[in-house]
Amino acid sequence: MSVPLTLLGLLEQEPRHGYDLKRDYDTFFGRGKPLPYGQVYSTLSRLARDGKVVISEVEAGAGPDRKRYVITDRGATEVDQWLTQPVEPEPHLQTVLFAKVVLALMLDRPAEDYLDTQRRAHLQRMRELTEVKRTGGLVDALLADHGLYHLEADLRWIETTGARLDALRRTVRP
Amino acid sequence: MIRLGLRLAVAGGRESLTRLILIAAAVAVGAGLLLTTLASVNAVDAQLTRYASLYPGVSVGGDADPLWWSTREDYFQGTQIVRVDVAATGPDAPTPVGVPRTPRPGEYYASPALRELIATNPADQLRDRYPARDLGTIGAAGLPSPDTLLVMVGGTPDEVAKQPRARQLTSVGDTTPPIPETIVDLILGVVAGGLLFPVLIFIGTATRLSAARREQRFAAFRLAGATPRQISTIAAVEAGLAAVAGTAVGFALFLACRGQLAEIPFTGMRFFPGDLSLDLRDVLIVALGIPAGAAAAAHVSLRRVRISPLGVTRRVTPRPPRAYRLIPLVLGLTVLFVAYGYRPRTSDGQTAVFLPAILLVMAGLVLAGPWLTMVGARLLAARTRRPAGLIAARRLADNPKAGFRAISGIMVALFVTTVAVGVITTIVANRGPAQLGSTEAGTLSANFNEKPLAVPDRVLADIRTIPGVRSASVVRENPVRSGEGDGVIACADLPPAYGRCTPGATVAQLSSNFLPWRESASPDRQWPASSMSPADLRRLPVTSVVVGTDGRTATVERARTVLEIAYPVQFWVAPNVPGDFESDFANTMRGWQQLADVVIVGSLALAGCSLAVSVVGGLSERRRPFSLLRLSGAPVRVLRRVVLLESAVPMLAVAVLAVAMGLLAAHLFLRAQMHYTLTPPGPGFYAVVLVGLVACLGIIGATLPLLERVTGPETARSE
Amino acid sequence: MTTMIEARNVEFSFGSTPALRGASLAIDAGEIVAVMGPSGSGKSTLLHCLAGILVPDAGEIHFDGARIDARSEQERSALRRERFGFVFQFGQLVPELTAAENVALPLLLGGVRRAEALRTAHGWFDRLGLAGLEHRRSGELSGGQAQRVALARGLVAGPRVLFADEPTGALDSLTGEQVMDLLVTAAREQGTTVVLVTHEPRVAAYADREVIVRDGRINAPDRVAS
Repeated sequence: MSVPLTLLGLLEQEPRHGYDLKRDYDTFFGRGKPLPYGQVYSTLSRLARDGKVVISEVEAGAGPDRKRYVITDRGATEVDQWLTQPVEPEPHLQTVLFAKVVLALMLDRPAEDYLDTQRRAHLQRMRELTEVKRTGGLVDALLADHGLYHLEADLRWIETTGARLDALRRTVRP
Repeated sequence: MIRLGLRLAVAGGRESLTRLILIAAAVAVGAGLLLTTLASVNAVDAQLTRYASLYPGVSVGGDADPLWWSTREDYFQGTQIVRVDVAATGPDAPTPVGVPRTPRPGEYYASPALRELIATNPADQLRDRYPARDLGTIGAAGLPSPDTLLVMVGGTPDEVAKQPRARQLTSVGDTTPPIPETIVDLILGVVAGGLLFPVLIFIGTATRLSAARREQRFAAFRLAGATPRQISTIAAVEAGLAAVAGTAVGFALFLACRGQLAEIPFTGMRFFPGDLSLDLRDVLIVALGIPAGAAAAAHVSLRRVRISPLGVTRRVTPRPPRAYRLIPLVLGLTVLFVAYGYRPRTSDGQTAVFLPAILLVMAGLVLAGPWLTMVGARLLAARTRRPAGLIAARRLADNPKAGFRAISGIMVALFVTTVAVGVITTIVANRGPAQLGSTEAGTLSANFNEKPLAVPDRVLADIRTIPGVRSASVVRENPVRSGEGDGVIACADLPPAYGRCTPGATVAQLSSNFLPWRESASPDRQWPASSMSPADLRRLPVTSVVVGTDGRTATVERARTVLEIAYPVQFWVAPNVPGDFESDFANTMRGWQQLADVVIVGSLALAGCSLAVSVVGGLSERRRPFSLLRLSGAPVRVLRRVVLLESAVPMLAVAVLAVAMGLLAAHLFLRAQMHYTLTPPGPGFYAVVLVGLVACLGIIGATLPLLERVTGPETARSE
Repeated sequence: MTTMIEARNVEFSFGSTPALRGASLAIDAGEIVAVMGPSGSGKSTLLHCLAGILVPDAGEIHFDGARIDARSEQERSALRRERFGFVFQFGQLVPELTAAENVALPLLLGGVRRAEALRTAHGWFDRLGLAGLEHRRSGELSGGQAQRVALARGLVAGPRVLFADEPTGALDSLTGEQVMDLLVTAAREQGTTVVLVTHEPRVAAYADREVIVRDGRINAPDRVAS
């Protein structure tokens, strides 16, 4: 799970305070595992250092906590690239897939296309594993099967999500 | 549960409605036929009772004055007229049935059919045979059939008492029929079997088919927690509902067709429509028996579903029929062949051998059918090159009982009718009326019951003056009982058309009608000489008068009329030409033949329905493999061929086998019993069989569009 | 690579319900292509159109360089019989015939003599690991055996294209994969083009590439991309 890119994505939707960022992150992605404040601020300062975000004017009398973070063009480009590129298909990627889909919807990007791209990547990997299975020995085959079943689970999730994108869009873009 | 069953049956969509109508139609046909059979039994009973009452036995006792009664047969243009002479001996004498009062001397009553004949023919051919005063019509109560030619002539007690077979009656109309009704019942039973068997098969097949198609639904009910009892109730309600509706339609059909049915001369005579009646017992048998039977069939056919909520998963090949099924057939044929070589002496003994043997062959054919089907199908499966033949043959070989079930009706019906038609055709051919225009067809002979010593010249002169009469000869009784002939005649009096004497003879011995037994008249025949002299002849009693005519009916009837008027009481059997008795017999036979035709066409059409139903069943069973075959590019004609091979080929084979066995049985019967050689039925019989087969094939063909529809691409959708 | 079979802007409706709305797909000779998509997406309809079972309302079907959708039903039947093979989800074996006779059926329909057809059929039994089952009836075969027999029937006449419609849909995953393995091996050996309709990714993974049917259209990258 890529916290920096997820925060960047949230910032691309609209500039936010650190507190708001944490709250939104927790709401959508941090189910049962809230993001510590420290990690939020350290990540943000790293992003600011790399020029992916800037801090807008501090509101008067509001204290250090009232900094507003705004995404830069560089940051936006990175989010864009991340969202369009398929994840390297391997087990336990659901959360990344999920985050990508939700962000794509929030940002009004073509989530369907992303899912198709992802499906293709998954299937390509499955083909490779199937070939391993068909040509290799039993250990290879069983290992390949392990991967195949997990990839298949991802694909099922992709299908299900694909079928319910509209509903999800309404949920994340009130 | 019953209400649920009713609702499912009526409101279960188009398919269940179609099924309901199909079963109801089958039941309607079956109920109609059953009713017809029952009514026919009653009608034959009524007809025979009235027929028998024309030949009453002596009745004694009671205080009434007796009624003199004498029944004789007369002929007109080859049809039989029953003549009854009656004379009341006092005011209390019973009145014959069907007339308002007993006719007095010089009076007569006639049946409507006879009155019609009298009115439309010259008086000197028919009317003059009867007294002057026509009192009117004999009512239906006194007539066996609307076609009966019956005359009831009044006479004095003395006159009638002298009549042949005259008897005194103190009561009328309470006679038990002397004609053995059991034989007619047996014949009707066979007819009913020929027709009803296919109907029952049809109902059974239809119920089974619909049950198969409902199996899934019922299995679903079972999964939903319905008890087997509840399922059975639902099924029975559905089948019962269809059966009740069908039975009602059957009654309507019967009532609507009663008039036409009465026209069928089951016994050689038409019925009065009122004779085709049903008593309460018959009505109850049909009205309760058929719906109950259909419900029971539904119960039985659902046994499998009652066992498992999962329905039938896998069909197992039923056990093949064994060869022991051939035993009765072989046994029956063996008995026929043995009887052919060694004939029992008495007539009863013959009946005791032949009837069971023929029944054995019939039952044997039905029992052996599945085995023969299996053997034939296996042979076909081993030899066929076409895929359609292979599939069809395998299916028949797998379940020959199912394949044969639908056609077993044809087997019975065609066998029975072929035996009947073969026997009838042969008898008619051997004993039918003489050929028109032949000498014997114009030879009227009158055999005296009480032999007079002379025939008045006036009578002979009257006969000879009739235009068309060529000769009138008096034959005297041969005092020598020899095989040569029962009559003698002076050579000078022998008309040359009938032969001549041996050279030098003066008196010839000959048959009393100039015609040797079962032979034709011939001018070349030499009659053996008699030792009598022409002078001796005058002292011998007259045995017969033989009138040679030109054969025209007017001439024959005029001569007959003159003879009957001259000798009102001397003939048991009226003067007759060789055709008279035989053509009457042949008419009866033709009636039977018509009935056979009806049975053939009817049973084949019904078998067609059974086959169509089993074709539909076979299709829905194999709907998926067939439609997938079609998707894979198998032409529809291959599937069509499968269907036809599975149904039409066994049907045709069975038809050929049944006809062949029927002809064989008829031949063996005729050879042994009557020394006749089988005269094969004419083209008419084969035409009727052909019509029936075409009807059957047509009904099967009607299912072929269904084949194309059910095997369309939509079946392949696996989603 | 030459195109073996191709759909061009194919449209097809069941009554007023559109199933295909301009589907285009080109498959190379010897290629194994999985057609995927959710239920009701029109993937079976696409297969039926490609195989000449259904005639498209609009668009064209080309096989081996010739247009086939305009041909008569008889010609298309003959084409299916002689050039195409089929494997369906279940129930395509004729219950009366033995397994060997079922396999020989396409040859018999093509007019091959019975003895010869059966000999060819028997060869497939060894190939698909079915030796000894030649004389069983379809009711006496397990699901996997029946599908292997069906596969033999689909391939026995040496078709150019094998259409497989959910061939493992009625099987458990292990049996299904065995059938797929045999299918792919045999198709590759014979150089048969395979159109494989399935909704299961693991089955689709046996193909060279996949196309997705969604809402009656084909959502696939160009062949060049894969």
